[in-house]
Amino acid sequence: MKLDAKIPGGPIAEKWDRHRFELKLVNPANKRKFNIIVVGTGLAGGSAAASLAELGYYVKSFCIQDTPRRAHSIAAQGGINAAKNYANDGDSIWRLFYDTVKGGDFRAREANVYRLAQISNNIIDQCVAQGVPFARDYGGLLANRSFGGAQVSRTFYARGQTGQQLLLGAYSALNRQIAEGRVEMFPRREMLDLVIVDGKARGIVARNLITGESERHVADAVVLCTGGYGNVYFLSTNAMACNVTATHRAYKRGAYFGNPCFTQIHPTCIPVHGDTQSKLTLMSESLRNDGRVWVPKQKGDTRAPSQIPEDERDYYLERKYPSFGNLVPRDVASRNAKDQCDAGKGVGETGLAVYLDFADAIKRDGQDVIEQKYGNLFQMYEKITAQNPYETPMMIYPAVHYTMGGLWVDYNLMSTIDGLFVLGEANFSDHGANRLGASALMQGLADGYFVLPYTIGGYLTGTDLQPVSTSHAAFEASEQLITAQVDKLLSIQGKRTVDDFHRTLGLIMWDYCGMSRNDEGLNKARQKIQELRGEFWENVLVPGQGSDFNQSLERAGRVADFLEFAELMIIDALERRESCGGHFNEAFQTQENEALRDDDNCSYVSAWEYQGIDAEPVLHKEPLEFENVKLAQRSYK
Amino acid sequence: MNWFVATFGSSIGKKLLMAVTGLCFIGFLTGHLAGNLTIYAGGDAFNSYAEHLHALEPFLTVVEIALLSLAIIHIVTGLWLFWQNLKARPNRYAVNKWAGGRTIGSATMPYTGVLILAFVIFHLLNFSFVDKTNTTIWQIVSTAFANPLYVLLYIAAIVVVAFHVRHGLWSLFQTLGANHPKYMPFIFKASIVVSLIFGIGFGLLPLYVSLFA
Amino acid sequence: MTKNINLTLKVWRQKNSSAAGNFERLEAKDISTDMSFLEMLDIINEKLTLEGKEPIAFDHDCREGICGQCGSVINGRPHGPEKGTTLCQLHMRHFADGDELVIEPFRARAFKVVKDLAVDRSPLDQLIQAGGYISANTGAAPDANALPISKETAEMAFDAAACIGCGACIAACPNASAMLFIGAKVSHLNLLPQGKSEADKRTLGMVRKMDTLGFGNCTNERECEAECPKEISITNIARLNRGFIKASLFSSEK
Ligand SMILES: Cc1cc2nc3c(=O)[nH]c(=O)nc-3n(C[C@H](O)[C@H](O)[C@H](O)COP(=O)(O)OP(=O)(O)OC[C@H]3O[C@@H](n4cnc5c(N)ncnc54)[C@H](O)[C@@H]3O)c2cc1C
Ligand code: SF4
Ligand code: FES
Repeated sequence: MKLDAKIPGGPIAEKWDRHRFELKLVNPANKRKFNIIVVGTGLAGGSAAASLAELGYYVKSFCIQDTPRRAHSIAAQGGINAAKNYANDGDSIWRLFYDTVKGGDFRAREANVYRLAQISNNIIDQCVAQGVPFARDYGGLLANRSFGGAQVSRTFYARGQTGQQLLLGAYSALNRQIAEGRVEMFPRREMLDLVIVDGKARGIVARNLITGESERHVADAVVLCTGGYGNVYFLSTNAMACNVTATHRAYKRGAYFGNPCFTQIHPTCIPVHGDTQSKLTLMSESLRNDGRVWVPKQKGDTRAPSQIPEDERDYYLERKYPSFGNLVPRDVASRNAKDQCDAGKGVGETGLAVYLDFADAIKRDGQDVIEQKYGNLFQMYEKITAQNPYETPMMIYPAVHYTMGGLWVDYNLMSTIDGLFVLGEANFSDHGANRLGASALMQGLADGYFVLPYTIGGYLTGTDLQPVSTSHAAFEASEQLITAQVDKLLSIQGKRTVDDFHRTLGLIMWDYCGMSRNDEGLNKARQKIQELRGEFWENVLVPGQGSDFNQSLERAGRVADFLEFAELMIIDALERRESCGGHFNEAFQTQENEALRDDDNCSYVSAWEYQGIDAEPVLHKEPLEFENVKLAQRSYK
Repeated sequence: MNWFVATFGSSIGKKLLMAVTGLCFIGFLTGHLAGNLTIYAGGDAFNSYAEHLHALEPFLTVVEIALLSLAIIHIVTGLWLFWQNLKARPNRYAVNKWAGGRTIGSATMPYTGVLILAFVIFHLLNFSFVDKTNTTIWQIVSTAFANPLYVLLYIAAIVVVAFHVRHGLWSLFQTLGANHPKYMPFIFKASIVVSLIFGIGFGLLPLYVSLFA
Repeated sequence: MTKNINLTLKVWRQKNSSAAGNFERLEAKDISTDMSFLEMLDIINEKLTLEGKEPIAFDHDCREGICGQCGSVINGRPHGPEKGTTLCQLHMRHFADGDELVIEPFRARAFKVVKDLAVDRSPLDQLIQAGGYISANTGAAPDANALPISKETAEMAFDAAACIGCGACIAACPNASAMLFIGAKVSHLNLLPQGKSEADKRTLGMVRKMDTLGFGNCTNERECEAECPKEISITNIARLNRGFIKASLFSSEK
């Protein structure tokens, strides 16, 4: 199958308008006849379900948590970008577009990113209308800050809880539709298979997490908004339930997976403290606006930070990147921290941490100012580490944070399976090889509020959809597959727990497919993963029953999928013969150890087609064409 | 009238009934205390206060009927709330601990309420519903408080009232929606002060009567 | 300073919502004080699993204090003894070697136990459905800066909007009342100019819904405020009460 991204013609600034005009409309009276399944209630899923229902479609919405309000989007701290240019500092749709493509190390599709930048402004309007309490100035107008190394102030924020407030906005819109009977909500459900009839996505089979029953749901289209797969690394800043199951099972049903190896490692997280840790906590990137990153110049220096005199400290980011300093993009900051620690200069008990020091900022601006800006973050840090960052520098270390890869989608956000749409972090679309800060929230909401509601109509009117019932053979087969897997997991009764396997997998991925990669390590990892997967299916211990609220069984299913999917990440990482963004292959670096792209040969999206568990997946390449941005080596010197 | 039932049958509506009737009782107690202070001026003053009060008929009867209605509303609603609240947690905690919000006053409202009801009935039987043709109110009061048991009982009852008022007073402002960071701390303290005034004002009376009359 | 402590746990075990429950005594050995409370439970669960027993079911997701999915009652305190802290953010350094911890689910008629420590808090969603939204269809919004909102109002609305929907206020309330939860939502939306046009409808809708779901009545005990991990103030309840009087007695809303 040839990949067709269906990018509309014409100048980039007109593509979306033209496309919206060309898309066929659904007759309003017919809308209520269409059933749409939306899996996931994060920013992407919540906004999509609410908007579709407002248009008149009948929507079924699913999530794993006990209520839609707890989707992982709730945890986003920093903010959301928009090209409003309220700060009058030279921002524009074009600049946001350009920055995002460049920040993504030129591995994103221009047309999508441009549309994202266009829509960004409507998102802010919509959210304010819903009652999202964004930060404001004394005059009552919206405040902005610069974020994630952007040189303009375009980030809208709600204290350190932007994701929470945006999600509560989408959640409230969703609830309004539930109350009106336009959305039926299915919480504590996990989608375990996608059902395809006549080549089109026509439903899902989900497990009721409380009763263990399988439930079949038919629809005219299925929308996956199931978030990212950062938890393949076990330790990440993602919530515990984040998984790859929905997208991986869609992949196994024929949807192509895009750029699976593009993962983002965030530089400012609280370091790991022991081997029983269950997850990592992000410290907002905004801290780098005032904090200075340093390590001792001398290896293995175990003195307390206050005992290390100024001239024995290495402010390595400021030294190496005089113009961006501590504000270099995430991938660069993370890799540098790792390099310092690998060189034996890491600090703290484990040696896997660097200092983020606010002493100078406090001296310059006073503690009040710093407290006003970061009070809640400092408090959170103290709660976790029992150290006071006003007095002693914070310790930070990079952690897995976001996955740019995801199911491949065209301009309409439709995957390679007809009628299967993918939104938010679950798709591969807009961030290329590295996501800029405050742009995931923007993308999730753009997809759900303003893109899908148009494009899905085009699909529904243009497609012949015969009635399908839940007793169709495809549903039958899916359910059997699921039941068989559950039975198998419960019957193994081996010696290692699910978390034990997950932790082992996480370490393999972190060591060999983390911040920096090489072919030898990747090959080794691939073998280890295969072995681990083999052991899992013989030696995993899943307690309890299938007809019950069984959290170990839930996790077992997810880890089983991670064990398959991890291999795909490795295959993708091996295949890409360059370094770009979050994918850094040591064989491809500049003399200053920066990522070295190969634009001539590697300007493509890799889209993988499943062939069976032990068979090599087939690579399809979507070439990326850059007509509006100039390809250049990113430089932050 | 649907809206009326919907309003006062709702949880907040019921609380409003409690608040408004409670406020009336605090007004009543204030008046009652002011009147009773005449006791400190001696038996004659007290008797004359009682006479003046009775000269207000039929207005007095109206007030009495009003007080009775308020009491019925306060008691019935209170019991209803208590019953509903009991039902709201059928399975109780094995360990109960307060986090610093509750006070003895707030935790015992239903119980102090019932005690106060019993006391009020007792009090009325003692001092109001007695044949006063051949005796003055002062005589009745001083005879009663000659018995130390009576004194103790009354003081105990007043302490109970004080606790009820201590929570009831600030609480009624909260229920009426008058909680503002600027003046709520004042109201909160004021309810302690008022409960102390009631406690001491009423509480000393039996003592005074028994010792000095 | 990291050290290891030993604890005795008495954990509520209940197979499902209709089964009877009981306390199970478990030893928590060698618990690092750097661990979070949930990580301590993870360790116990790993051990139970390896012993062939069923692990303790408990809800959690973000483990950052923002999703509101975690929460149990520890020695009579929802989310444990630390002020302004969710259970997932509670660290073991706040406990001493040899402590006995009684761990119970949030208890209220409106919250059925799903299993062990996990409870069904879907009534909170039903409350939101009864009016916890602003009716603004996608696409209909004016420019975000068309309507200035004073910083003070925005901040007050935010303080209320910070609610994570954990239900600890209900668990802590001696009457299992949901007033802090709906007070927070009504305050958040009614304070903002965008939410004003539906204010009366929202207030009445949410209060009436609450009354049908089996929550108790507020008697101003202030335990909710004291236990709320986001320290939401009961001034929000007063604002709700005010709004209720206005909506019931002075508006045309039925
Ligand atoms: C700590 C942290 C901070 C962040 N801060 C920022 C920030 O400041 N700015 C920014 O732009 N981005 C930020 N991000 C990234 C951003 O939050 C996420 O990328 C984004 O919220 C993802 O939204 P989503 O709707 O795609 O998915 P999610 O919010 O992850 O939602 C996934 C949904 O899918 C459901 N689901 C998953 N699998 C299944 C299944 N099999 N069956 C049924 N349901 C399923 C889940 O229940 C959930 O409802 C941050 C991320 C983290 C981890
Ligand atoms: S008001 Fe506080 S305690 Fe209640 S649900 Fe919200 S955050 Fe939890
Ligand atoms: S797990 Fe999310 S708040 Fe505790």
